Amino acid sequence: MGKPEVRLDEMTREEALQYLNETLKPEEGAIPAYILTDPTIYKIEHEKIFMKTWVLLGHVSEIPNKNDYMLRDLAGYSVIVSRGQDGEIRAFYNMCTHRGMKLCRADKGNKANFTCPYHGFNFKNSGELIGVPLQNDIYGGQLDTSKMSLHKVTIGTYRGLIFGTWNDNPQPLDDFLSDFKWYLDIALGRTEMEVVGPPQKFIVHSNWKIGSDNFVSDSYHTMVTHGSIAQLGMVPSATYSKKGYQVHTDNGHGCLIGMPNPDFAFPEELKDEYKANLTPEQFELLSNLKNLIGTLFPNLSILVSHTKVKGQLISNTTMRLWKPVGPDKMEVMTWFMVEKNASEDWKKRSRESYILTFSPSGIFEQDDTEVFTDITAAASGTMPFAKQLTYNYTMGMHREPVKDFPGPGVAYGDKFSEANSRNYYRYWLDLMNS
Amino acid sequence: MSMEMMLATYEFQQWLYREAKLLDDIDFDGWFSLMHPDIQYIMPVRVNKEGVERPDYAEDMFAFHDDHHLLSLRVERLKTDYAWAEIPPSRTRRSVNNVRVEEYVPNEKAVVKSYLLLYRSRSTDIHHDLVSGERTDEFTYVDGEWKLSKRFFVIDQTTINTRNLAIFV
Repeated sequence: MGKPEVRLDEMTREEALQYLNETLKPEEGAIPAYILTDPTIYKIEHEKIFMKTWVLLGHVSEIPNKNDYMLRDLAGYSVIVSRGQDGEIRAFYNMCTHRGMKLCRADKGNKANFTCPYHGFNFKNSGELIGVPLQNDIYGGQLDTSKMSLHKVTIGTYRGLIFGTWNDNPQPLDDFLSDFKWYLDIALGRTEMEVVGPPQKFIVHSNWKIGSDNFVSDSYHTMVTHGSIAQLGMVPSATYSKKGYQVHTDNGHGCLIGMPNPDFAFPEELKDEYKANLTPEQFELLSNLKNLIGTLFPNLSILVSHTKVKGQLISNTTMRLWKPVGPDKMEVMTWFMVEKNASEDWKKRSRESYILTFSPSGIFEQDDTEVFTDITAAASGTMPFAKQLTYNYTMGMHREPVKDFPGPGVAYGDKFSEANSRNYYRYWLDLMNS
Repeated sequence: MSMEMMLATYEFQQWLYREAKLLDDIDFDGWFSLMHPDIQYIMPVRVNKEGVERPDYAEDMFAFHDDHHLLSLRVERLKTDYAWAEIPPSRTRRSVNNVRVEEYVPNEKAVVKSYLLLYRSRSTDIHHDLVSGERTDEFTYVDGEWKLSKRFFVIDQTTINTRNLAIFV
């Protein structure tokens, strides 16, 4: 193997970005392999993307009652997401402002106050420091507790989704979600959705972007990676995933819409609710929907799946975060969501189909992580620089967007394309340069 | 411990060792033949709770929640040409220990607890995964044999350190 000529870790930040701009050409469908594993890229990504954009923290239904809280992670930092006594949801850095100890270590619970295990400083779940042991004696009444409130995380919500950001001046969440809201509405806002149980978490030795990329544009892999499902008769044929639309919007978001579907994939009795929550165009799409797979930049993927389990068609709705843990490691977090007003039988069967297909044991999910792991290993180290390994993302470049698609964004009338990935990496590159 | 319970403990130890061997040898049909038609194969999500509040696992979300049909689908899938998660198959080594017979009605039913330490190695990966936890197994006696009618596996990690559960616990 030749001596590597490029060492991003020996370059200045500007030089590294210049090299990135010379080698990553989204519009030409050229994505260099090193961006998946290089530590310098990972570091810039953390600062420019995960510390700046909106990242999912969870769903309002996970903390339905006053004083409920849950622990989450924002760009690698532990965050308490709490519903106060006033019913309002807030988020704080899980760090005592006195000496930095974690205030909460349970996944979730119900607490009006958080007490630090180190010196007993006590914080209200709205963030104020309200108790310091022996305060008057040891601080002589001089401690200004009003300046020691918990560090607040900026949050925003849409259709029950709670997003957080470390950015003090973020793009408004509404602008960030932009046209993609139309698709989020169908996936997660068609009626009141609730999260069932805790999210499942597992570790994959893979770069996080492979998950986002897979869900933003890659229906093509399903024929082979998920060929077993067709053999088992759970989907009609290996090429079933080609039919439908691929759509992307600003800010890197994109989704794949499988249709048509001769069967209605959702509880019939909720049709009125769907109609009330969606526009006629959205409801029409929902009525014909086979599946909806998408990624909200940077690392939230959503999925509405429709498969045959025990001879009956059933859909399940999930979301997942591809949380970076290192350049070549991520924690996958998956939430199962269901229509709150669906019948108990529907909820039970939908959960059953989720566990069978897209949970950590899911017979779709498990084959994906195998691919993600091997891709990451192949992209590691100096070889991708020395041999300038570049992925081909040119699929569908000859296609023109369709004019008659009812939703916003750029839509193509075929799911097999890499247009969404090109759009995703364009936005990724813009943020890396920001 | 009575002689009867000693013999029963030995019998279920041997059953569990044999089961582990079938799985480690990738004999999924042989393994599946040990299942009772009413099998409930359940693995809840483990959670971190305040203090010693128990149970510290979810009662409404599961990594596995299979009946006989769903479990058979997993076995059948592993025999297709596209079960990439297990191509080549993981090398697994199941250590079963601390076997305790909690309930025992001869030739009828039994409840047996055991610890499982599962080592998993994939392909050329030098990294290995460990899955550990406690099983609570219910057995039903059918036609002269003990069949597994319920498995409840509580894993020791809240974030599972393996890429997927294409394996059985």
